[in-house]
Amino acid sequence: MKESNGKNTIEKSDQDQDLGLYFLELCSRKVKEELQDYNGDGDDEEKEESPSELNTINSSGGFVVVATDKLSVKYTSVNLHGHDVGVIQANKFAPMKRLVYYFEIFVKDAGVKGQVSIGFTSENFKMRRQPGWEANSCGYHGDDGFLYRGHGKGEAFGPTYTTGDIVGAGINYASQEFFFTKNGQVVGTVYKDMQGPLYPTVAVHSQNEEVHVNFGQKPFTFDLKEFEAQERMKQQVKIEEIPVPTNASYGIVRSYLLHYGYEDTLNAFDVASKSTVPPINIVQENGIDDQETTYALNHRKTLRQLLIYELTWITSFISMKLIRDGEIDAAFGKLREWYPQIAEDNTSAMCFLLHCQKFIELVRVGELKEAVTYGRIELSRFFGSPVFEELVQECVALLAYERPLESAVGYLLKDSRRDVVADSVNAMILSTNPNLKETKNCLHSNLERLLRQLTACCYERRSLSGDQGEAFQLQRVLSSGKKS
Amino acid sequence: MSLFWIVIRQLAEIEAMAASKKVITREEWERKLNNVNIRKEDMNKLVMNFLVTEGFVEAAEKFRKESGTEPDIDLATITDRMAVKKAVQSGNVEDAIEKVNDLNPEILDTNPQLFFHLQQQRLIELIRNGKVEEALEFAQEELAPRGEENQSFLEELERTVALLAFEDVSNCPVGELLDISQRLKTASEVNAAILTSQSHEKDPKLPSLLKMLIWAQNQLDEKAAFPRINDLSTAALEDPA
Repeated sequence: MKESNGKNTIEKSDQDQDLGLYFLELCSRKVKEELQDYNGDGDDEEKEESPSELNTINSSGGFVVVATDKLSVKYTSVNLHGHDVGVIQANKFAPMKRLVYYFEIFVKDAGVKGQVSIGFTSENFKMRRQPGWEANSCGYHGDDGFLYRGHGKGEAFGPTYTTGDIVGAGINYASQEFFFTKNGQVVGTVYKDMQGPLYPTVAVHSQNEEVHVNFGQKPFTFDLKEFEAQERMKQQVKIEEIPVPTNASYGIVRSYLLHYGYEDTLNAFDVASKSTVPPINIVQENGIDDQETTYALNHRKTLRQLLIYELTWITSFISMKLIRDGEIDAAFGKLREWYPQIAEDNTSAMCFLLHCQKFIELVRVGELKEAVTYGRIELSRFFGSPVFEELVQECVALLAYERPLESAVGYLLKDSRRDVVADSVNAMILSTNPNLKETKNCLHSNLERLLRQLTACCYERRSLSGDQGEAFQLQRVLSSGKKS
Repeated sequence: MSLFWIVIRQLAEIEAMAASKKVITREEWERKLNNVNIRKEDMNKLVMNFLVTEGFVEAAEKFRKESGTEPDIDLATITDRMAVKKAVQSGNVEDAIEKVNDLNPEILDTNPQLFFHLQQQRLIELIRNGKVEEALEFAQEELAPRGEENQSFLEELERTVALLAFEDVSNCPVGELLDISQRLKTASEVNAAILTSQSHEKDPKLPSLLKMLIWAQNQLDEKAAFPRINDLSTAALEDPA
C-alpha cells in the first residue's frame, strides 16, 4: 500500500480505490477458496499423492508374483542367496506434508523360512535386497524381529512375526522417527536418519511367502487416529506450558468486535467483563489504538445490519417492488450520506460489489427478469473494465444455468458472500478514519493478523524442514474436542 | 590438498551455514502473510467459543445475532453454569453445591476431589465469618471422614483447620486460603467440571492458539530470522533483529 502523507487529497482517493480493488480481489479469491475447501476432503488440505498399489515395474522380477490387484506379493522360487530377495516398493513415495504416514501388511503365508520384512527405502534402492540391508533403507524383519538400518547387521527391536500377523510401518514426521506395529500395537520406534522421499517397501524371501499390503484402502488394524491424537497431545502439552498474559484473549476478542463493528456484542461484553469477580482489566496499549478502532463504530454497525438485512430480505419475495422502486436502498443511501467518498462515485469498486451482490440475491430467488433489469441498469457500466470484468461475467453467467447453485459460479450464491460484502463496507469505512496511521490496519483484525502469523510460521518452518510434517489448520483446532 | 584439510574446510562450511540463518525480509514475509487465507467464519467460531466458554451469555446472544454464528453449546446452560460460578465467587458454597446438583447430580458424584474442594471452601467461609463452632462441627462431620479416605484431602483439611489457631489471620501462614484467589480457584474448578459434563472443552481455544503462535515463532526462529509479533495486544510485526 502506498504511503500517504495525508496532505494530498488525490492521493487519498487513489488509496481508497486501491482498497476497494483489494476487496474485490479478496471477494472472489476468498469465496472460491472456501468452495475448494468445502468440496475437498476437508481433513487434509494438502493434495499429495499417496501410495495406492505396488510398483510392478520396478520390482525384482522373476522371484515374485504380484497379484492383479497389485496389493499382494508372493515368492515363487527357491531362494539361493542374499541377492535374490523378492522386494517391492509402493507406486508412490510416502506423503510428507502430514503428521504421520502409515501402511500395513498381512502375512498370508510365512513360507519356508518366514523372511518377510517391511520398511522404507529410498528411490534408488537396490531391488534385490531386504529393506534395511542397504544404505538409505530401514526394515523390520519377521524371522528375527530385528531392525535393520543400512547394513546387514540388525539390532534387537521387537517380536518376530509370521503367518496371520498384521504388521505396520510408519513415519512420524513430528518426532522424525520410524515406528513399527504388530497386530495393532506399537513395537518400537527408531530415529529416521534418512532424508528425501521414502517408499513403503515389503520383501519376501523364501518359497510361498505371501503378504497383502494395505495402503489405507481398508481400515488399519492399528488405531492410527488415536496415535495421531496422542502425538498432537504430546506437542500440545509442551505448548500449554508457554505463558501468555492472562487477559490477552479478552483484549483480542474485544478488538475483534470493535474491528468488525459488532457493537451490541461489544457493549454486552464490556458490561459483563466489568461485573465479573475480579473485573477483567483489558489493557489498552494506548488511547490512540482505541480511537482508531472505535472510529465510526455505530455507523459501521448500522450499515452492517442494514446490508445483511436488506440482502437477506430480497430473498423474501415481497421486496421485488421495493427493489424496483429503489426503496430497499437504505444501506446504500446511508453509505452515500455518511461516506460520500466511498459511495458517491457509482463506478467505485465498493458500489460494484454492492450492485453485484444485489444482482446475486435476485438470481438466488429466481427473479431472473428483475435480475436482468437490475443488471442492465447497474452492472452494464462495469463491462469492459479489466478489473471488474471477471466478476461481472461470473455474475451474469448465473443466468445461464437452470440450477445456478450447482454451476461453476455457484460459489456466488453462498450465504457467506453477504458477510464478505458487509465486511468490505466495514473496512472501507475504517479506511476513511483521518487518524488512521496505516491503511493496512483496517484490512485485518488483530485476531486475523495473529492467525495469519501463526499459519505462515508453520508453513515456513515446514518448507525449511524438507516439506515434512503437518501445517497449522484453524479448522482442525476448531473441530478438535467435539467428539469426546 | 590432504584429506585432512578437505574435511576441515567442509566442516567450516557446514558451520557457516548453520550460523547464518535464512533471513526473511519484511517485504517477503508480508507477501507470505497475504497468501494465508483465514476464514471469517472460523474467526467468528473462535470468538463464539471464547464467549461461551468464559460464560458471556449476553454477549454470545448478541454475537449470534450480529455475526450469524451458532454457539457450540446451548446458551441456556451458560446461565446456570455462571450462577454456580458466581455463588462460589461470592462465598455461597452451599447454594453452589445445590445448583450443581440441580444441573447434574453426577458432576459431584463422579468427582470426589471437586466435592472435597467445595466442602473445604465452605469451611473456609465459615471460618471467615467467625462461626468457629459451626466450622469445627462441619470439619469433623463432613470433611474428616473424607480425609480418612484420601491422604491429600487430609493434608488439605489440616491446613484449613489451622486457620482457627490464629486470632489474626493476616499473619497466619495459611492465610492465603482466605484470599479471594482461593474462591476463584474453586469457582473455576466447578466451572470446568460443569463444562466437561456437558461434553464441552473446559478451556476456550483462543488462549491455546496464542500459545501456539509463540511456540511456532520460536520454532521458526531456530531456522530463520523473520518479522515476529511480540506484542499480542497490538499484533504488530517487528523487524528481525
